[in-house]
Parts: sequence; structure tokens; C-alpha cells
Amino acid sequence: MTSATAVLRRTNVLGVATMLLLLGAWELLIRVGLLDFQNLPAPSAVAARAQQLLASGELMTNLLHTLRVTLLGWVLASVIGIGLGLVLGLWRPAWRWSMASFELLRAVPPISLVPLALLVFGFSVRTELTLIVYASAWPVLVNTIEGVRTVRPELRDVARTLHLSRRETLLKLTLPAAMPSIVVGLQLGLSLALVLAVVAELVGNPSGLGNALILAQLALRPEEMFAYVFTIGLLGIALNAAFRQIVAWTLTSAKPLPGKVS
Amino acid sequence: MTTLGVGPADAASPVEPGERRRTTPARGTRTGSLPPLRGLLPLVVFLASWQLVASRLSPFFPPPSDWASALLDLSRSGVLLPAAFATVITFLLGLVAASVLGTVLGLAVGASARTDRALQPTLEYARAMPPAAVVPIATLLLGFTGTMKVVVVTSAAIWSILLNTRSGVRQLNPVMFEMARSLQLGRFERVRKVTFPALLPSIFLGVRVAAPVALVITLLVEILTQVDGVGALIAQSQRNYEFAQGYGLILVAGLFALLVNALVSMLQARVMRHRPPA
Repeated sequence: MTSATAVLRRTNVLGVATMLLLLGAWELLIRVGLLDFQNLPAPSAVAARAQQLLASGELMTNLLHTLRVTLLGWVLASVIGIGLGLVLGLWRPAWRWSMASFELLRAVPPISLVPLALLVFGFSVRTELTLIVYASAWPVLVNTIEGVRTVRPELRDVARTLHLSRRETLLKLTLPAAMPSIVVGLQLGLSLALVLAVVAELVGNPSGLGNALILAQLALRPEEMFAYVFTIGLLGIALNAAFRQIVAWTLTSAKPLPGKVS
Repeated sequence: MTTLGVGPADAASPVEPGERRRTTPARGTRTGSLPPLRGLLPLVVFLASWQLVASRLSPFFPPPSDWASALLDLSRSGVLLPAAFATVITFLLGLVAASVLGTVLGLAVGASARTDRALQPTLEYARAMPPAAVVPIATLLLGFTGTMKVVVVTSAAIWSILLNTRSGVRQLNPVMFEMARSLQLGRFERVRKVTFPALLPSIFLGVRVAAPVALVITLLVEILTQVDGVGALIAQSQRNYEFAQGYGLILVAGLFALLVNALVSMLQARVMRHRPPA
């Protein structure tokens, strides 16, 4: 089998065709004038505008800003979430004497903190980063606690039998066993990080994709708005795909999951 | 993982962490998933010390007692209740619309492998889109209206319902349909008496994930567009530098979130009561 047919087999031709068909229908309806929404641009106009934005480097600058802040915030949030999660998950008194506080704080939607963060930190990257870290630390924290606490009790016996030190138990047994749960938290945190980045840029931070989107709105340039919205969507997909790929590489090479032959 | 599950995992995984918690009790937790109440102590201490030192800190961090009085002022001036009402209505309409549309779409992609394949990339892309990015487009097309708010909430809350319905349809027992055929049920009857009841737990699992999402997105739209609601009030208190009011309103948002969680758990207990554990 040639590689071309292999690629063709892997791609979802029907799905791509449907997507193109929908875009074509959108274009057609606008050309004919059937779809008469004020301000709705045709896909071709959006594509043309995106091309210009790419050529001028504007799109890339904004994309890189958002990407950088999202990743930085996510990494910080993950470190905090996993660290705190280990403490709360492994040390019972800490859990007993503070978990209810965390649960209550967690109920407050991070989105509602956006305006206040703006007031306190001003229109800056600091606002954006603070919001991202705060919001995406939660799923990591909760999933780490969950993962550590539901480690099978037999594993503790194993640790005792093998005379593992506390450190070794943590690194060789507890963490690997909790990994699937932690990974779910990390993935949730990543998509939240992007959401919060875009929100912060929409309301305040003077750079990034969200800010470009708002500027396009204020300048009444619908094509540009759609170009940026599509870019944000692509970024979301790319981040998720990259995360899954990295997880697939690192986790499967470390320990093949039982019962799954791929 | 499902093939559609490239986007955020919250909506994707039909099995929730909370679900797991119930089936495999962690060592030493006899009370289930609720942590002991004494764990509230740090928060109480934190708020109390905030109250004590706040006045000397800065205008950014007014003491909790000021939050309460600011909230009281808001409700006395007749602003708080209508705003809360608007938020609740948007949340409910969005959630109901998402449930109906998500179930229908989930049935469509779950019942036919071809439809699933055809719609997969489009749905996947739409799902990966952060709702915040959709808001400016929605205002562009629909204006600063209540409809716009509901549309945005629906578009964000629909995914978990769609995906759970889809996987629910996949797991239906074919014997049920043979029975329906031998009973010569009509198409409508079949859906009403066989498919829908069998799917209800799956759909509900989706709604359970979707409800908190719908609330957050409701607040998000209100903050971003300032069209009615508690979110709009939060944004306004930022514009007017009303710190105490802002903190108070954040509490209200948190209270809403707790209420939604409690309601969903209650509903779940009712919906799941008739089913044996799978």
C-alpha cells in the first residue's frame, strides 16, 4: 500500500466533504442573498482577510502571545495543582482540615472573578496570567487528590513488602497509579487556560487573539472577527491534539496499559 | 476515549470523576464524597482575618462586612432581584435548548455511523471553540439581546449532552428493538416507549455536566456584553470601582453554582432511582 492511500484511509473524507459542503452552502447563500444577516461575511471574504492578517504578521504575533500566556499559565497551574493535590491527597489531616474550604472556593466560577482581577491588576498580562493560573489549577488539584486517594490499597502492601522508602513509594507507585486521573485534570486545565486567556484578552489585556477580536469588532470588520474566531478554534484543537499526542508518547512508553493491544 | 473526544475532556468523558468516587470508595472515607465540615475552618479564619485587617490594607480588598452591606444596598434599590432572575432565565432556557438539541443531534450521530462520520470534523471543531470567542460573533449577528445570550449558552452546554446521548445510543441493547418490532410498535411509539427511556440515564449524565457549564457561560456572556443579569452587575461594579459590590456579587455567583450542583444531584437521585446499577 502506498503512503498516499494510507493517508487517504486515515482521513475522514466524508467528514471533510461535509465541512466543505457547509462552507460552500454558506458562501452560496450569501452570494445569492438568501442569508441576509447583517454583518455576516462570506467564507471567501474571511479567508481573504485571514490571508492579509497572516501576511502582515499580525495574526502570528497575536497567536503567539495567546499561546505563550496559555501555556505558561497552564504549567504554573499544573505545578500548583499537582503539588497541593499531593499534600491534600496523601496527608489526611490536611485534607480533613481544609478540603471543605477548597470545595466551597471551587464553587465560585472563576469567570466571575474576571472584572475584579481587572480592577486589582489593571489591563495587563498579569491579570491574564493570574486568571489562567487560578482557573486551571482547580481541575488539576481535584483530579490529583482524586487520583491519589483512590490508589488501590494493595499497592501500599506492595510498597511495604518491597521496603520502599516514602519517596520511592510516591515516585514509583502512587504517582504512576494516580497518573490517569491527573492527566484528565491536566487536559481540562489546558482547555480552561485557553478559555480564560481569551476572556482576559477580550475584556482587558491589550494583546493576543481575544484583544484582536475585540478590536476587529470595534472597527466593524466582521471578516477579521471571523478570521480571529476561526484561529482561536484552531488553536484550541491544536493544543488538545498536542497534549494527547504527548500523553500517548510518554505514558504508553513508560507503562503499557494492560488489556490494550494496539 | 470516543472519536469525538478531542475537545475539552469535561464534556467528553461519559464517566465522570464523581461517578468513580461513588463506586470505588477511597480508603478511610466512610462519609462518601463530602469532606468533613471542620475543613471550613481555614476559610473562616481567612475571612475573619480579612475582616480584621482589611480597612488598613487598601481599597482593593474591602472587608467582608462591606460586601454584605453593598449587596443589601443593591437589593434595596431593586437591582439585584431582576438581575438574578435574568441570569436564572438565561441559564434555564440555554440548558433546556441544549438538552433538546443535544439529544436530537446525539440520536442522529449515534444511530448512524455514516452521519457520525460525516459530521465528526465539523462538530469537533465547533466543540473546541472557546465560548468566549463565540460571544463577539453572536453579538454581531444577533445584537445585544436575550436571544443572543441563550444561543451562546446553548452552544456551549450542548456538547456533553450530545456526546453522552451518542454513546448511549451505541450501547443500546438490540434485543429491545426486536421486542419493539415483535410488539409492532410504530416509529413514534418505539422512540417514546423504548429508545427514550433507555437513553434517559445517558442524557441525564450529559445534562449533569452541562448544567454547571451553562451557568458559567451565562455569567460569561453577561460579563462580556453587559446585557442584564448578575454577570452584567459584576462588570458594572468593575466599571464604577465598586469593590465591595463586586465581591458581594461574586458570592452570589458562587451561591448560584452551589444551588445548581445541589439541584443536579437531587434530580440525578430521582432519575437514577429506577435503574439497577449497571
